[in-house]
Amino acid sequence: MELAVEMRNISKTYVENNLRANDGVDFLVRKGEILCLAGENGAGKTTLMKVLYGLEGHEEGTISIHGSQESISSPLVANRLGIGMVHQHFMLVEDFTVAQNVLMGIEPRKYGLTYDMKKAVALVNEVIGRHNFSIEAGMVVRNLTVGQKQQVEIIKMLYRDVDILILDEPTAVLTEQEIEGLFSTLRQLAKRGKSLILITHKLQEIKAISDRVSVMRQGKMLGTYETHEVTERQISALMMGKSISLSIEHRIKRADSRPVIEGRKITVLRQGQQRPLLNALSFTAYSGEILGFAGVSGNGLGVLEAVLGGFIPIFDGKVLHNGADITNIGTALLRKQGLAYVPSDRLQIGSSLKASVQENIIVGESASFRKNGFLDQKRVTKHTNALLERYSAKATAQMPIGTLSGGTIQKVILAREIERYQDYIVFSEPTWGLDIASSQFVYEQIAALRDKGAAVILISSNLDEILTIADRIVVLYRGTRVASFSGDEARNLSKEEIGEYMLGIKSQGAPRA
Amino acid sequence: MLENRNQTNRKLLPSLRSSGGILLIVLIALCGVLVLSLLLSKTPARTLRYFFLGPLQNTYYFGNMLNSATPLIFGGLGVSLAMRSGNFNLGGEGQIYGGALVTTLFAIYLAPLGVLGAIMALFIGASFAGALAGLSGFLRMKWNTSELITSFLISNAVVLVMNYLISGPFMDPSTSLIATRKIPDSFRLSALLPPSSLSTALFFALVAVVAVHAYLYKTKSGYELRMTGLNSRFAKYGGINTRKFIVLPMFLSGFLYGLGGGFAIYGTYFSAIKEFSAGMGWNGLAVALIAKSKPSAVIPAALFFAYIEAGARSAMLHSDVTFEIAAIVQSIVFFLISSEVLLTLFEKKRRNP
Repeated sequence: MELAVEMRNISKTYVENNLRANDGVDFLVRKGEILCLAGENGAGKTTLMKVLYGLEGHEEGTISIHGSQESISSPLVANRLGIGMVHQHFMLVEDFTVAQNVLMGIEPRKYGLTYDMKKAVALVNEVIGRHNFSIEAGMVVRNLTVGQKQQVEIIKMLYRDVDILILDEPTAVLTEQEIEGLFSTLRQLAKRGKSLILITHKLQEIKAISDRVSVMRQGKMLGTYETHEVTERQISALMMGKSISLSIEHRIKRADSRPVIEGRKITVLRQGQQRPLLNALSFTAYSGEILGFAGVSGNGLGVLEAVLGGFIPIFDGKVLHNGADITNIGTALLRKQGLAYVPSDRLQIGSSLKASVQENIIVGESASFRKNGFLDQKRVTKHTNALLERYSAKATAQMPIGTLSGGTIQKVILAREIERYQDYIVFSEPTWGLDIASSQFVYEQIAALRDKGAAVILISSNLDEILTIADRIVVLYRGTRVASFSGDEARNLSKEEIGEYMLGIKSQGAPRA
Repeated sequence: MLENRNQTNRKLLPSLRSSGGILLIVLIALCGVLVLSLLLSKTPARTLRYFFLGPLQNTYYFGNMLNSATPLIFGGLGVSLAMRSGNFNLGGEGQIYGGALVTTLFAIYLAPLGVLGAIMALFIGASFAGALAGLSGFLRMKWNTSELITSFLISNAVVLVMNYLISGPFMDPSTSLIATRKIPDSFRLSALLPPSSLSTALFFALVAVVAVHAYLYKTKSGYELRMTGLNSRFAKYGGINTRKFIVLPMFLSGFLYGLGGGFAIYGTYFSAIKEFSAGMGWNGLAVALIAKSKPSAVIPAALFFAYIEAGARSAMLHSDVTFEIAAIVQSIVFFLISSEVLLTLFEKKRRNP
C-alpha cells in the first residue's frame, strides 16, 4: 500500500509552558484513504497536523510525503507538496465571491493587468462541477451557509491540486444534513485518490466516515486501527485512558441544602447558525454541593461559562440567584450580587498580565479600599500580602502578575475569587495546565468551599476532574443536557460510561433532577 | 538563584529597552539637526551653536521656550490619559482651539465676577473641549465607531467653525488681527521672566501633572481606568463598568486640552486669534508618545519638544537656516516615535493574534 504521509518519531515541545505536545509520534496515511485522528482536548492532534502543514516546527523526527523525505517549513511548502488544510475557523473574505476567494493569490489576468472575472468564474465553476458541489462561483460568500462556506474552503484546496487534505474538526459547526453532505463529498474525494485526514473526537463520525482511526492521548500515539475492527467503546476507552487520580472526599447531600443558582431552559443562539449553542438547559446548583458540568469542548461548556459570567446574553430562559431573576444583567451587576468566578482563560480574562499582583487582587473591590477619596495603597498591599501568604503563592504584591508561573497566577485568581465568594462560585477548567500538586491544592480549596456551604459550579472538560470532585454531574452534548447523575450513581460512574454520554453515543431519555 | 536572576532580567530588560529606545530617538533627532545644518548652512558651527545654546542664552529665549512647553504639557497629559484607558484622542487641535475661544468669550462676558468669573470661564471652556472629545467616546460606546476617526473628524470641523466665529461674529474690528476682543486685564496671569511671554500658567500645568498622576495611580476611578486600558476583558470580568471608561477618559482628555487652550489665552495671547493654536494639538500627541503616556514623563517630553522648536527659531534668527529645519527635525522625531509605537503594537499582535 502506497503511503501518502509518513511521519516518524515526531516530537514537539512548546517552550512557553514546557508542554510536550507531541512525544515520539508515528503517523502514517495511505493514499486514497480517509483517516480520523482522534483524541481528547490537548492530546496533541492539532499540533501534529500543524507540524505536517508547516505551521509549527518540530525538534525530532522525519516527514516523508509520497515516499520522499521533506522539510516542511511553511504552509507554502506544504501546498507545493500537495498538502492542504481546512481550518476550523474559515479564512474567507466575506464580501468576495466564491471565485475570488478560491483564486486569491493566483488570479487570472486579462492582458496581464486586470482581473479576468469571467475566466475566474469559469475556472472555479469547472472545479465545482467536477466534484458536484452545491454552490456557484459567482455567489458572494457572505450569503452562504456555514456548510457552503466550508465547501469554499475545500474548493480552495482542490483548485490547488491538493492530494492530502487535512480537515480540523470539520463537523463542529455543521448541522446534521450538512455533515451528510460533507461526508459524501469526502468519500468521492477519497475515491479519486485523495488522502484525507480528519481531526475529530466524535465517535459516531469516526465510525461513519473513516477507513482507519489513529488515537492520541497526552502527546503520544496509541495506535492506528482499521475502523471496522474497533467499536466506539474501545475507541472511547483509548481516548480517555487512565491517569493519576487525585481525590477529595465526597459529601452526602445535606438536609439544609437549598437552591442557590437555577438555570431554567437557558437557550443561546448564534447568528447565522441554526443549531443553538445551548438548548433549553435547566439545572439547579444547591448549597454545600459541587455541581459538575462535563462535556467535550464545543458542546456548550464554554457558552455556559460565558452565560454565568455575564459575557453573553441568553436568548430564552432564565437564571435565578436565590430566587431573584439575574437573567442578562451583565457582569458588573452579577459581581455586585455575589458572583465569584474562576475563568478558564486565566491569562486573558482572569488576570491583567501587565498589572501588578495587587492591582489584580483588588479588581472590582477597589471601592472597599478607599480612604478620603484615594485608594489606601498600604492597606491594599497588606491585604494582598496576607492573601499571598494564605494561599502560599510565591509572589510579591508589586510585581507584574505576568512574570509569575501559570500555577501561581491561578493561585492569585483563586485567592481573589474565594475572598469575594458569598454563596456561590463558578470554576471553569480550574486545573487546566496545572501540575498534580497544584491541582490537588485547587481541589482542596474547592472542597473547603463546599464544606462551608457554597454552591460550587464546576465546568470541566476533564473527565478525571469531574469524577473526582463533583457531587452531581450534568453531561452536555451539542448544547443539550444528555445525562445527569447524582449520589451513589455519580460516585460509581465509570469513565467509559460517562464518556459515552459525552461523545453522544448514549443519552438518557427525560432529564432527571 | 537562576529563577531570581530571570526575574530581575525580566524586569530590567524591558525598562532598559523602553528608556533606551526613547534616548535613541532623541539622539537620532539631534543627529538629524547636525546633518541638516551641515548640509543646509554655510556656517554650520554658528548654526549649531545657536540651535543648541540659543534657547538658553537669555531669559527671553528661555522664558519663551518654557511658555511654548506649557500647552504641550496640557495636551500631552490629555492624550496620555486617554491612552491609559485604551482610547485615542486625535482631536486635540479642535479641542484646544475650541476650549480657548469659549474661555475667551466667557471671560469677557463674566468679567464683572472677578476671579470667580475667570475660573468659571476656564471651566466652561475646558468642559466644551471635554464634550467634543466625550462625544467621540459616546459614539464608540453607542455604536462602536472608532474614536480615533471621529475625534479627528469632529476636531477638523470644529476648527473651521471656530475660524468662522473669530473672523465673523466675534471679531474685534478695532485691531488689525483676526481676533476676538481681549479678556479683561484682571484675568491675565502675571508674567514670569519678562520680557518673555512666560506666565504663571506654567505652574498650573505642573499642578495638572500632579493631579493627573494622582488621579491615575491613587484613586479608585483612575485604577479602574488603567485596568480597562490594560485589559478590558479582565476589567469587565472583575466587575468594572467598562462602558463608563470609554466616555470618561475621552472627556477628561478633551478637558485637559481645553485647559491648555484656556491658559494659553490667560497667560499669553489674551484674545482668541485665528489659528493661534495650530499645531499645538498634534504636538501634544507627540509629547504623549515620547512620554509613553506617563504623566510624570510628560514634563521632560514637552520641554524637549519646546527646546527643539526654540533652538530652530534661534538658529533661524542668528544664522542662515530657515524655520523649516525645525519642522523637519520635529517630523523626524515624530516619525521615529510613531515607528516605535507601531513596532510595539506589532509585537503585541504577534504575541496574541
